[in-house]
Amino acid sequence: MKKERKFLYEGMYILSSVLTDETRQKVLDKITSSITDKGGEVHKIFDEGRKKMAYPIAKKREGYYFILYFTTPSKSIEPMWREYHLNEDLLRFVTLRVEAVPEKIEFQPLPEG
Amino acid sequence: MKTHPMETPFSKKKKSCPFQAAGMKHVDYKDLETLKRFITERGKILPRRVSGVSAHYQRQLVLAIKRARYMALLPFVGEAS
Repeated sequence: MKKERKFLYEGMYILSSVLTDETRQKVLDKITSSITDKGGEVHKIFDEGRKKMAYPIAKKREGYYFILYFTTPSKSIEPMWREYHLNEDLLRFVTLRVEAVPEKIEFQPLPEG
Repeated sequence: MKTHPMETPFSKKKKSCPFQAAGMKHVDYKDLETLKRFITERGKILPRRVSGVSAHYQRQLVLAIKRARYMALLPFVGEAS
């Protein structure tokens, strides 16, 4: 048996902005439970709030953004994605390998010149 | 003797990479303020010869901009000016 390899991931999710606060929470719970059910662990959830999207997705101009940091076995990523694709309230998502969980989502501006 | 810049019209002025100057470790797709500096009004990625970004950071920058576009943070096609 190969040893299960776990990695730290960053996931950004765009939820539909027409949802009520309650259903949005439910959709978010569904996302987190699909991580934890497969042996993953959620470290941090950043609620980025409602944002105007640069172009409409699924005929919606606004989206509700979440950024999650979690560790999970690399094998569980693919079934996770399959579940995400079935979720109609989840407009878009990305999952990326990262090195560390940031304290907050903030960036230093580049110096002019 | 040093030649005057006007005497050699095809000599390029050496640009310094803004990412190296800032000592940034990697380019993040969530860092919109930085990414916006390297796209045109139309939403196109600025070439290296214009922005002066080093090859190392241009590769990261291109990936970051494309990720940001996919997540609707940046437009694929910007408005015409």
